[in-house]
Amino acid sequence: MKILIAIGSKEFSAPTLRLGMKVAQAFHAKTTIIDVGEKISEFSSHLVELAQDQMESWDFDPPGVDVLEWAFNYLSDNKLIDSKQIKTGFPKNRLIDDGEDRKLVYLSGTVCDDVNLILRNGDIISELRDEVQYGKYDVTILGKSKKRNMSHDLLQYINSSVLIVNNYDNQKFDKILLPLNNADGMMKVAKYAIRVAMALDVGIDIFTVINKKSLKQERSYIIKKVIKLIRRSGVQFTNEEKEGEVVDQIIKKADKNKIIVMKASNMSPIKRYFKGSVPLSVMNESDVPILIVK
Amino acid sequence: MFWATQKKWFLYALGLGALLLALPTPHDLQIEAKISMTILIVSLILIIKEPIPLPAVAIFILIAQIYGGVDTVDGISKSFMSDAVFFIMGSLMLAVVIIKQGWDSRIALGILKFTGNKTAGIAIGFLSISAVLSSFIGEHTVAAIMLPIGMTLIRFTSANPSGVKNLSAVILFSIAYGCLIGSVGTPSGGGRNVIMLNYLNQAGISISYFEWMIRVYPFIFLQIPIVSWIIMKTFKPEHRILDSSVRKLVIKVARSRAITGRSTLTVLIFVFILSGWVFFSEKFGLGTIALTGVFLYLLGGFVKWSDLNKHTHWGVIILFGATISLGTSISKTGGAMWLADKLIYFLGTFMETIPFFRELVVIVITTSMSNVLSSSATVAVLGPINLNLVPEILNIGLLTAMSSAFSYFTAVAAPACTIVYSSGMIRAKDFIKIGFRVGMISILLLIAYVNIYWPLFN
Repeated sequence: MKILIAIGSKEFSAPTLRLGMKVAQAFHAKTTIIDVGEKISEFSSHLVELAQDQMESWDFDPPGVDVLEWAFNYLSDNKLIDSKQIKTGFPKNRLIDDGEDRKLVYLSGTVCDDVNLILRNGDIISELRDEVQYGKYDVTILGKSKKRNMSHDLLQYINSSVLIVNNYDNQKFDKILLPLNNADGMMKVAKYAIRVAMALDVGIDIFTVINKKSLKQERSYIIKKVIKLIRRSGVQFTNEEKEGEVVDQIIKKADKNKIIVMKASNMSPIKRYFKGSVPLSVMNESDVPILIVK
Repeated sequence: MFWATQKKWFLYALGLGALLLALPTPHDLQIEAKISMTILIVSLILIIKEPIPLPAVAIFILIAQIYGGVDTVDGISKSFMSDAVFFIMGSLMLAVVIIKQGWDSRIALGILKFTGNKTAGIAIGFLSISAVLSSFIGEHTVAAIMLPIGMTLIRFTSANPSGVKNLSAVILFSIAYGCLIGSVGTPSGGGRNVIMLNYLNQAGISISYFEWMIRVYPFIFLQIPIVSWIIMKTFKPEHRILDSSVRKLVIKVARSRAITGRSTLTVLIFVFILSGWVFFSEKFGLGTIALTGVFLYLLGGFVKWSDLNKHTHWGVIILFGATISLGTSISKTGGAMWLADKLIYFLGTFMETIPFFRELVVIVITTSMSNVLSSSATVAVLGPINLNLVPEILNIGLLTAMSSAFSYFTAVAAPACTIVYSSGMIRAKDFIKIGFRVGMISILLLIAYVNIYWPLFN
């Protein structure tokens, strides 16, 4: 399992890093923390690089290094990396340019496999997409953007499951909400939900929204399988069915205290681009973290 | 699907281009001129939105002109490579050489001797030194040299950047705007000046390095105190006196490497280049002299080719060559004249009746464009059109070059602004806040300047 956690600033990325590392811990995943810096106009990019070289000769770090250092300190404070590395501090001198337009430093993890810190510059969607393709990540974790298109692009173009960390607070979340439907791949979603529930030590609310009675029988079969899986895992759960509009019901049920884990839409990319999808609508309209499993 | 969303501006630009080509050609416009202007509009969108790499835009401009029948392959090739392109190539390489020589510590000492420890004095010192240096060696070079000096002073004042936000803005904007203000002072101050010289030469007008300075340099001295005052008033610094931080900076630079014989030689080579620009640029061209300097630095082993190659953006050089070629085509096919005629047709009455309206139109169009495009690309594109607007070709050419430096409003238009913005200590909205004030005052000053000072030359 490989997890990519995207952070952007010390001010706003703390919840993302906190939840991200908990999930990484749950999956015992190889984890990479990435900061994508602002895109620089191509006109000035070489000149800015030259200026940054000059800045380094005056002991100034390139932009973004402070964010990685802050992430390193978080890992140190929570003993998520090897104690030897904690003692030596943030290894700025080992932040190497790997020739792929990114700088990176390798660390040894404790609760999860290796933890890498990466610095890239450019358009966030393109850079994350490239990184996910390059590193073959299973889950990408990042904070919710205020830009509506960004959520759409993330879901549409990032080739991994996506966890959007929205208003995350340790104390607040006491349940995982697992909305089910009759699509393929629900067992994978259930497995993810179980892992996250275990990491946060919370229960799972299985939730099915029915708007066509004819599908009830088929749904029941999937729900039975999911219930069996969850019961075996030892995680506490409830099961509820409701009639109504799917997005509204999920958002209402999630309230402000549940982390949603749901499956990505099976629609074709073009159809999804023009029509949208249930996960996208839930992601845009809800106020809680949401993991969309692909 | 991802490709389509990433390249949507490319698709929009092509769609718009196809639409423009499908529209009927005005009776007084040649088809070649229409095609070249369509290529221009498409290219402008591609340059501003960057949906494809800039070198790809350059290639598009060149091949579209040839396939569109705007000119022959030989014609396009000839207009592609000019002294202006040589100069841009040379000045980008010289920037690498100069920055690597460690002149920054000497400059820091010079500024502090000259300014003392009061914030207002330091701000005007940074602005003046940046302006004077950038008038000779280019804004991007000076911004890269000055930024660490300014940042070190800020760091010595407070380890917590949020506690010195206004002071940071004062120092960093003094550097960025100083670089912009100075960059028009001499032909070697920026690629845009050389591009304009190129167009003036094509129009049969010659102006020496020294004549350019006499006409333009006083404007720099006029702007320095006013812009410095605006910066100080807009961002009221948290500290009025920077006594201890100045002392710390002096100690730091005093500990830096001493001047050696080799570093003196690098200065001498630069003085040689500068003398060449002043005395021989009309004969040999500014670009040739800049490249001579690069050759000497390489010959003397002052810089490695690998460093030059790494930090010189060849794509930008190709793009400037292509935009100059397109500007020349628009001029040769009569497109520039046609556009200028239309502008005069629509605004002619105002130009004749309202004083200074003509200058205002040129300045506003050029300033607006240079804030979304690069200033050199603005001059490459607008130059041929503006030169057809009025009979006083030299004045309008200089006015275009000068107003193309008013890229005060955004962090992305001018390299100097992008470099200080990359420090992360000023925000994009700070540029709007101060840029509007400095921009408006600069426009008014320039109108007054050209109408009071330049008539003395007639």
